[in-house]
Amino acid sequence: MLAAGGIGGPLGRAALVVGLVGSVFGLLAAVTAARTGDRRVARLVIRFAWLTATGAVGAFVAMEWAMVTRDFSLDYIQRVGSRSTPALYNFAAVWSALEGSILMWVLVLAGLTAAVAHKYRRRIDDPMVGWAMATMFATAIFFFMLTLGPANPFAPGAPGVVDGPGPNPLLQNHLLVMFHPPILYIGYVGMTVPFAFAIGALVTGRLGEGWLVETRRWAIVSWGMLTFGIILGGWWSYEVLGWSGVWAWDPVENASFVPWLTGTAYIHSVLVQERRGMLRVWNLSLLVATFALTILGTFLTRSGILNSVHAFSESNIGPWLLSFFAVIVVVSVGLIGWRGDRLRSPGVIDSPISREGAFLANNVLFAAFAFVVLLGTVFPLVVEALQNRQLVVGEPFFDRLSGPIGLVMLFLMSVAPVLPWRKASGEVLADRLHWPAWCGTAALVVAVVLGASGWAPLLTFGLGGFAAGAALRQLVLATRRQGWRGLVGRANGGMVVHLGVILLAVALAASNSYTRSQELNLEIGAPARWGGHTFELVGFEQVDDDRRTAIKALVSIDGGQAYAPAITKFKSMGTNIGTPSVRTGFTKDLYLTLEPPVKPTSDSARIKVFVKPMILWLWIGGGLMGLGTLLSLFPGRRRRPTDPTSAPVAVAGGVAP
Amino acid sequence: MNRIKTRLAWASMLLVAACALGIGATRDSGPSTQAERIDAITERLACPTCDGESVYVSRASAAESIRNQVARDVAAGRLTDDQIIAAIADRFKAQVLLVPRATGFDSLVWIVPVVVLVVSVAALAGAFRRWRDERPADATAADEELVGRLLGAEPGTGRDDPS
Repeated sequence: MLAAGGIGGPLGRAALVVGLVGSVFGLLAAVTAARTGDRRVARLVIRFAWLTATGAVGAFVAMEWAMVTRDFSLDYIQRVGSRSTPALYNFAAVWSALEGSILMWVLVLAGLTAAVAHKYRRRIDDPMVGWAMATMFATAIFFFMLTLGPANPFAPGAPGVVDGPGPNPLLQNHLLVMFHPPILYIGYVGMTVPFAFAIGALVTGRLGEGWLVETRRWAIVSWGMLTFGIILGGWWSYEVLGWSGVWAWDPVENASFVPWLTGTAYIHSVLVQERRGMLRVWNLSLLVATFALTILGTFLTRSGILNSVHAFSESNIGPWLLSFFAVIVVVSVGLIGWRGDRLRSPGVIDSPISREGAFLANNVLFAAFAFVVLLGTVFPLVVEALQNRQLVVGEPFFDRLSGPIGLVMLFLMSVAPVLPWRKASGEVLADRLHWPAWCGTAALVVAVVLGASGWAPLLTFGLGGFAAGAALRQLVLATRRQGWRGLVGRANGGMVVHLGVILLAVALAASNSYTRSQELNLEIGAPARWGGHTFELVGFEQVDDDRRTAIKALVSIDGGQAYAPAITKFKSMGTNIGTPSVRTGFTKDLYLTLEPPVKPTSDSARIKVFVKPMILWLWIGGGLMGLGTLLSLFPGRRRRPTDPTSAPVAVAGGVAP
Repeated sequence: MNRIKTRLAWASMLLVAACALGIGATRDSGPSTQAERIDAITERLACPTCDGESVYVSRASAAESIRNQVARDVAAGRLTDDQIIAAIADRFKAQVLLVPRATGFDSLVWIVPVVVLVVSVAALAGAFRRWRDERPADATAADEELVGRLLGAEPGTGRDDPS
């Protein structure tokens, strides 16, 4: 039975072919409908979108089935499957290597294609929707071809294999592995939708603000998912990797962060276009950059040319991804050039001291930040290509450059929300910034009283307080005017997101600057005191099963509950994996790791203790960002017709004809 | 009067902030433990076998052995942080420095971001200047009179069709 193979392989391959056929015909139908306006053909687009989605869902289910039934006839299952992996991690093992993660990309993309087709089903014969669908289908074709070609998850494996090593041990010891990758992918792949509408707008020449309004929510939801996914990744790193950090500037982290930066720039500058009709080329470029960078990032990290903790083994999908990246850039730049005359914006920005001026400064900063991260990520490649030597660009480089950029961003977050459109006088600024500035001063004074030191963290606390004051001022004024509606809508939800970002920044500054650590040689019955806490080794616990041997040191903190940092040896891998144990608190975390070598027969253990301030506030900040994103999706106050605007006001239900 | 009050308020606030910053930023944060010194040093070293991770982050055996070497050097207490790093960089012929040097080709990784930032700020400043110059001049009395006359003569034709 095993040698003959399960049904997962043939079913999966068939489903992928169905998906590919659906997207090819979808592309043909979408282009035909967009060019001829034929309603019957246009309606076919919806059907093909569903067919594409069905193919993708079928393939994913087949893969899960093969994984759950341990169908070792497939090469992929031989590499990441194992009879001894617990059910939950086995389920998540589907996306633990290259082919499965591309399959997940296909699933998300096909799902989004169907969702867009469904959302615009009544306007499917609108050429802009048609071209957007065509773009979605074209992208889907590319990814289906990847899964049928160089990243085929259903390729048959060597005969006679009855068990495998299972997924990377690091992917087998925390629940977050279930959530971090899928959520990140939804955000990452979700950027395809605004990109597709941008292409639709360029092809049809309807470059007014209509397409922006169409894609506003898609962009915000994708951005929110990407944010959430990145933060979950930080959480996972903290809880699993044992070096007590949340972010290592690893190439894969950077590959998700760079599109996040350009996406963040976009959701800010899009407001300028909606309000003033300006920055059209810039906004299109940001969307193209965001989408293209997701592909470039995937190329850098999935082709094996850069290595990192996330990187999968070498594969030959590199040239495919690079070619696709080139096509995206050439087509988009070509279209923008072709439509150059229509993209000229009618307005001018009167003064740098204005809301739009601040948004522009924000954009320059975000774009520069994205460039710096990208440069640091690819620089080793450049050096290797040109000078044939190895070079590592690591955390200290990124920390050094991102610190000042982050501080300037906090300053902008303080000033921008109080700035009026058009221009501001010094008096208005002095008045509106008065109490936010006192908030900043108060934060600074409190930090100093509590013993904080160092320029960078103190500036972060001060500017953080300033920015929080500005965000709270906006929220207070809005709720005073409009009641609960003052908390929803983009401007107000955005302020809640800002509060989350500020919390994150402050918590990162505190935990990076004031972490204390010490290695303690603990002996049973002899408590050691350090950092204001007592640590006592109370014993060892050994867990032995057919998969691994785990040794846990039980350490009681302050005579209370015992925490259990562990070292696990996976039999299939032969590697030691350390697992930290964390006592979480509102002001600080105590983070314990067990240091090798470990002899459970002895009565002593080397325990490394980190005292990390404010870590919990990272996750609270992340949650606040998520909440703010949700709030910003609710419609806020309608703009009064008397408000000054030079861009057309959004018409309910769609674009002006 | 009001203006003076506002200025005084801002000045006192800035004074308080500057004092707090001055006190906090210049004070000594106390001695660091040996473990902290080891962490600070290993954060600047790349694990030779695991591309991109620092010795501090990595749990690989090569990183473990470098960490032990650093721990021994720190415990001996004879060398400064930079000397320990230099000694390890000498021992491993491969690149183990996580911070690219600011010399030769490698310095580009430091220079290019600065150049990009300067150029983009300059471009932004240039754009603002252009916008300021392009801005239509304020209407003169003669303009307003002309518009008034036209609007008065043929109502509704004096404006562009917004579509």
